[in-house]
Amino acid sequence: MTATHAVRPGEAFAGGGGRDRIPSGGVWHVYRAERRKLSTQLATRLLALICVLGPFAFAGVLKIQAGSPADTLFGVWVHQSGFALSLVVLSFCGSWGFPVLAGVLAGDIFASEDRYGTWKMVLTRSSSRRSLFVGKVLAAITFSVGLLLLLAVSSLAAGLLLIGDGSLVDLGGHTLTSGHALELVVLSWLLNILPMLAFTSLAVLLSIATRNGIMGVIGPALVDLVMQLLLLVGTGVWLHMLLAASAFDGWYTLFVAHHYYGPLLIACIVSVIWIVACLAGSWLLLRRRDFAGAPVSRRPGWVVPVRVAVGSAVIVAFLAVASNWGPVGDTAARLKANFVPAFTNLTLLQQRELGRYVPRGAKLNVITTCSRRASTPSGPGDWICTLDVFIPQLGAEPFQQTPVSYDVSLQWDGCYKAESPPTFVGQQTMTAAGGHSVVNPLFVIYGCFNPL
Amino acid sequence: MTRVAAVRAIGLVKRFETTTAVDGVNLVVEEGEVRGLLGPNGAGKTTLLRLLFGLVAPDAGEIELFGHPLGAAESVNLEGVAGFVEEPTFYPYLSGQVNLELFAELDGGVAAGRVEEVLDLVGLSGRGGDRVSGYSTGMRQRLGIAAALLRSPRLLLLDEPTSGLDPAGARDMAGLVRRLAAEGTAVLLSSHLIGDLENVCDAYTVLRLGKVVWDGSAQRLREQAPGSAYRLATSDDPRALEIAEQHPGVHVSTSPTGELRLAVQGRVDDYVLDLGRAEIAVRRLELVVSPLESMFFALTTDVELDSAGLTDLIEAAMAQT
Repeated sequence: MTATHAVRPGEAFAGGGGRDRIPSGGVWHVYRAERRKLSTQLATRLLALICVLGPFAFAGVLKIQAGSPADTLFGVWVHQSGFALSLVVLSFCGSWGFPVLAGVLAGDIFASEDRYGTWKMVLTRSSSRRSLFVGKVLAAITFSVGLLLLLAVSSLAAGLLLIGDGSLVDLGGHTLTSGHALELVVLSWLLNILPMLAFTSLAVLLSIATRNGIMGVIGPALVDLVMQLLLLVGTGVWLHMLLAASAFDGWYTLFVAHHYYGPLLIACIVSVIWIVACLAGSWLLLRRRDFAGAPVSRRPGWVVPVRVAVGSAVIVAFLAVASNWGPVGDTAARLKANFVPAFTNLTLLQQRELGRYVPRGAKLNVITTCSRRASTPSGPGDWICTLDVFIPQLGAEPFQQTPVSYDVSLQWDGCYKAESPPTFVGQQTMTAAGGHSVVNPLFVIYGCFNPL
Repeated sequence: MTRVAAVRAIGLVKRFETTTAVDGVNLVVEEGEVRGLLGPNGAGKTTLLRLLFGLVAPDAGEIELFGHPLGAAESVNLEGVAGFVEEPTFYPYLSGQVNLELFAELDGGVAAGRVEEVLDLVGLSGRGGDRVSGYSTGMRQRLGIAAALLRSPRLLLLDEPTSGLDPAGARDMAGLVRRLAAEGTAVLLSSHLIGDLENVCDAYTVLRLGKVVWDGSAQRLREQAPGSAYRLATSDDPRALEIAEQHPGVHVSTSPTGELRLAVQGRVDDYVLDLGRAEIAVRRLELVVSPLESMFFALTTDVELDSAGLTDLIEAAMAQT
């Protein structure tokens, strides 16, 4: 058969340059459509509501009960400083919340097209496959980052409105001014954007690879759970640093007395590597995919799930072994060098709070020994630090040389929580010179040192 | 002046594991032409449409739309092309109108009021605000056609477009296709139901086991058709049988219920005129197998369509009705 019709002047494909034209439905149009779809979904709206109301509910509960989430960094300070509340929310989200958010927002963005069978509809519009991929990823990123920022604002507002802008004590035992604390808290939230994007990219990859919304949604949380468990085993630093979940903790270094940025920089680089690897893998899978409809003869069976389960178990076992690779960052010398100044600063803070005179430049005389409660002398886990301490100042407590013992729970990244029985350091709260109740700075001591 | 076809596919091959779904297919659809893509289930029609939409990549062959290569999967250019493959699908939690607005966005946006216009065109203007999850199959089919018309396509590819439509809907659909073709739109309609395409198409391509077994105009197809078949009722059936013996292209048989069945190779007119001359009243002459249908069966089955074959075809068609 031969062509019989001429292309009409001015039409889209007139002339020879049509092949290079950009389809009229480009990235921006896909992005707008996906943004609209996401914003109409119940799950997105519920998440946004939780992000707004959650911190207020948390702060409200704290207002009516005396307990505090002391296991979490800064947790003991939540009754005293609204900034601490925001950091506790951040710390919790870094462990569990952000991977769940990323999964719900991005894990279904591609798989839903499989579930509803709409790939063939969207791919037959003017937008190219490339535009669809980029537009959808940008929409997922927008919502992930948007909800993270919403949570940041909400937690800060809840903290400041319901708890107040009381001073925050950093990980070196120094008191931060409100302005400085606000600056560091905001920066901490912003530093979580990169690892959040890493998990968003992982959700996109799972969504495309499995074509299953459930896997896309819960997959990032499952991967995070495995990573969190891997962070608890092994003594080496290399594998731990390569896990995307560890990047959520990079902000701790902003609150240490002697700044070190190596782990923070590595956390950022690791996040970028995860983002690039997941998105590149996603694009390769989507680009090569044939949208040929569901095969009629293929029945769901056990072979694939069993293979995936066995493969995952082998990988996790391998990673557990690999978690010992690299130098051991947690040593007695490092812990001691970090713990003693923190303890000194917090003791002096306690004395001031109690209304006792502490001269400028006052110091404690401390003799410290730190040892690990295990067969190997270094590595994360349970430690004990014993301090013989007195303040060489008349009227100060302890004036006499007093032994203090702290149980230290040390993480692979050099961060720790140290607790001492109340018989040594008193209760969680104490009565300040003004007669009001304040946090006893020595009840729980948080700190971080450079494991590299 | 450039002269191009809306679709030009050359030597298309697509394999799925051990099955060759499309095997060396050549296809041309001109602008303003309505071409029927015919074939039994599994002939490769839907795969061919998927290839034209870039949903699957060919293992061999080339596709040009309006003179331009379709391109690699990641950058398929479907400017001016619309339609759907298999049944149209939508986001069930959104309304029909919002679904169309989203598709319009993917096309780069459409003129204000266009969504309402196409909803009205397919008879869904009163239900556009309802969630798609509450739509019937026919309503979804109509919405699919509306989605295809959103961007005023120059090439419309429709897979089983009348599936799920009631007779009135199917008639409206046929009218719409003819109108679009009159305006210059090229249309490729795929169906395994010949009746859907008869009187709509200017040309046909018939597929069998992934290969083109016939390609040409509707007129040529009618000329080459092996015959047609009718139910016949007269005032004097025994004499009608005798008269049939004088017409070499006409074979009349009696069904177990006593009904006459007429298999005709060529024209039936001379036989009917002879019945009249013999003062035999024709009380019923109902077309059961059209020339297009007989051609379809001839091309897509191994049955030889002589008079006996046509009679068998009548049996099958009547059993269906």
